[in-house]
Order: sequence, then structure tokens, then C-alpha cells
Amino acid sequence: MNKILLFLFLSFFMADLSSAQNQQIARQGQVSFFSYTSVENIEANNNQVLSIIDYSKSKIAVSMLMRAFVFKKDLMYEHFNESYIESDLYPKANFEGTIIDFDENLASQTKIIKGQLSIHGVTKDIEIKTNIQKNKGNYTLDGEFDVLVKDFKINIPPILASNIAKTIAIKFRFQYQPYEE
Amino acid sequence: MKNKFIHKSILFICIAIVTSIQSQSLLDKLDKEFSNIVFDEIATFKTTRLGLMHSIETRKKGALQLSLYFRYWDTPNATGQKFLADEVSTRYGLEYAFSDNFTFGLGYTNFDKIADGFLKYRLLKQKNKDKKGWFSLTLVQTLSHRKVENTSGNLYQPSTSSEDIYAFVTQALFARKFNPNLSIQIAPTFIHRASNSNSNDANNQFAIGFGGRHKITKHISLVSEYNYVVNPVKSFDTYNTFMIGVNWEVSDLMLQFHLTNARNFAEDTFLTQTTNNFNFKDPNLHFGVNATYIIHTKKKKIR
Repeated sequence: MNKILLFLFLSFFMADLSSAQNQQIARQGQVSFFSYTSVENIEANNNQVLSIIDYSKSKIAVSMLMRAFVFKKDLMYEHFNESYIESDLYPKANFEGTIIDFDENLASQTKIIKGQLSIHGVTKDIEIKTNIQKNKGNYTLDGEFDVLVKDFKINIPPILASNIAKTIAIKFRFQYQPYEE
Repeated sequence: MKNKFIHKSILFICIAIVTSIQSQSLLDKLDKEFSNIVFDEIATFKTTRLGLMHSIETRKKGALQLSLYFRYWDTPNATGQKFLADEVSTRYGLEYAFSDNFTFGLGYTNFDKIADGFLKYRLLKQKNKDKKGWFSLTLVQTLSHRKVENTSGNLYQPSTSSEDIYAFVTQALFARKFNPNLSIQIAPTFIHRASNSNSNDANNQFAIGFGGRHKITKHISLVSEYNYVVNPVKSFDTYNTFMIGVNWEVSDLMLQFHLTNARNFAEDTFLTQTTNNFNFKDPNLHFGVNATYIIHTKKKKIR
């Protein structure tokens, strides 16, 4: 009985360990967004985005702090956090999804990632076309997609409607390395 | 038998622990990594003034702030047929932020002909985690100058002499953002006048200011402040100043509308020499508009 117990315990432990081995993390992922209008261009960059992939299960998760976005003008930073994204109430943006038809052995592939994107307390289903590179066993993901401001219940007062684009372009790039807790 | 039961329960616990570890999602793993990040609280107030007094806010490095402050009021039994208001006082102001914490400002008011300058330094900043910083503290030192002309001599040989009057105000502004909408500020104030027209009046005065803002919408907030003078001047009646108003933020432009009994803009004068009480009789009610525009002379590089 004791041996069986030990075996069970070890096998569970090994299973957990192996799942951690199939995961890679990016701690300095980059996400930037752009709003182009005829009045002004707004762009911001976040270099501290976290992402984790589990390549045996084709799963991916991304999390970022809204306060970590850097803008050209400090007033933009304040307005973004205070009046639009409300980072006091919704400090993070998250994404969780599955890479469709992911083949962990290919050196280069372009796949669709299907998942849920949460910004400003609103969660939306989204599909993102992503380039996946594998170099020396480590993955790099990058891509581009658009989101609509109104999808995430971000209110822009009519007087400022011409300053902020209705569609925001988002770019991302994550370089992963083996995950250790 | 007992042994078997213990084994079974251990087995059960093991499975429970292992499954709980495995059920931890990828997002939960990421959440753990963020738990220790501390930020400064931003936008305790939207502008560098509450209305009358300074707020704890300063502009960030390289920002140039242009400001026009207007105060309108009616004179009682006015004979003139002026549009809207009988009198107007305007302060032209300029502020430049040398660093994120240090600002220098200058201003001139055309009605009372007071020139003023100030230095402002952000000493402590409230953090998003209470244990690391519970409130913000900003120090303000102002200097104001005005010329007073004294006419002496007789009717046929009048001689005028002018006197420079300087006054200094030192303020410690304590503020806390209690939640995204509500911020409160308390400001112990020391006022020193280098010279007084009446020798009975104290050269040093103490005051304490209370102010707060409450956001109504994301761009509009309600503000109010009250300044209590501990030892008012004795030679004439003065009143404590009160202000209630609305702040409206339109991108780089801030508009502040308020009702107040204060006529002057320089700290030392409006705190200690306001001769009107707050009510709706002429000439006590003053309508104020502050327009503030921010120009970023330095832009951050985005990689």
C-alpha cells in the first residue's frame, strides 16, 4: 500500500513537473498601440508585458499593467489612465487563448490564436493572426491586430472624438524562455 | 483497518493538492508576478490649482503651463452699463517644470498690480499600496511684490513716494486620493509680510486650507475649498475665503469655473485681506474662470 501511494504521489508530481517543463514565459514582452487621426497621433508602448505559453497544450496567456504604458506626452498618460482605461479600477489587460493547429516542431509558422481579450473590465472573443518562430527551442511570437474602442466601453466625449481613432492598432512581440517558478 | 483509512485519506489529500496545482491557469501564474509592483498615485487633482490655492500636483518635466485666471464681480449701485460684469481682474501666469517634482511659476495680476512667483516641490507621493505611502506632500514657497504709492505734501507741492511691499507664503500641502473620485487636501500655511501699513497688524499670520474634489464624470469634477485664518488682521474686517466650483478637462486645456468671495490671486492677499463674505450680494460674489493650457516642450521617446 505504501509503495502504491509513493508511486501515485511521484507520478502526480512528475506530471506536474512535466507540465511546467512544457511552458515558456516572456517577462519583457512588448505591446504597443496606435491611434492615428488627422488631429493627433497617439502611440504608447509597454515593455513589461508578461506572457506564458504551454506548447504541449497549445495554450497562451498574456497579462499587462495599464500603468506601464509609456506615452510621448505625460498628459496623454494621465488621461489614458484616469479618464479612458480607468486603471485604478481595471489595472490590467489580459488575454487567454488557444493556438489553433499548433505544431510545436515547426521552426516558423503563422497561426490563428483564438481567445478572450479583457480590457477595461470587458471581455471579448477575438482571433489574432500570429507569427510563431522557434529558435534553439525558444519561441517568439509577434503580430498585429485591431480593436474597436467602443467594444470595450471606453467613452470618448464628443468634443474629443476627433482626437482619438475609433479603431486602435495593436502590435505585440513576445520572446519566451523556459519557465521556472 | 485504521491504517488503511489513513492511507486512503493521505491519497485523497495528495490528489486534491496535485489537482489544485494543475488547475491553476496560466493567467493565475502571471498574476503572481505582478503582486509586488508599486506605482505612484496619479491625478489626485487634475490641475496645479484647486481653484484659489495650489494643489499638490505639479506638471511633469519639460511641461510649460500657460494660465489665465479671471475673476468677475459687480459693484453695488453701479452707474455703468457694463456687459455681464462691472469689474474684472486677470492674472497672467506661466509655469515651467524643471523636473517631475520641481516647478517654478510667475504671475502678474492687473487689478491689484501684484507680481508673484513661486517654487513648488513634490516631497512625498502617495503610492497605490497604502503601506508604502499613505499621502502626498508638496511644499510651496511664494513671493509677491507690489508697489504702493503714498502721496504726501500739500495741494500745491504734492510729492509721491512709492514703497515696495513684499510678502512670503510658505505652504505644506497634504493630500490623499481616497478613491478614484474623491481627493482631499489640507494645507497649513504661514504668511509673512515684510512691512505693514498698519503697525497694529501682525506681520506673521497662520492659516489652514481645506479642499477637496469629487469627480462627477470622467472629465468633470466638483471642487471646493475653505481657507481659515488663525490670527486675522485687526485694522479692518476680513473674512475667510470659500470657493465652490467645477473643473472641466478638455485634452490639453483645463477650465475651472467657480464662485468665491476672494478677489485677489496672490496667496498672501486673498488669504488675509479678503474683505467680502461669501454671499450673493454685490460686490461679494465673484465668478472665477481659470483657463490652463499645457505645452509639452520635451517629449518622451518611445522605443
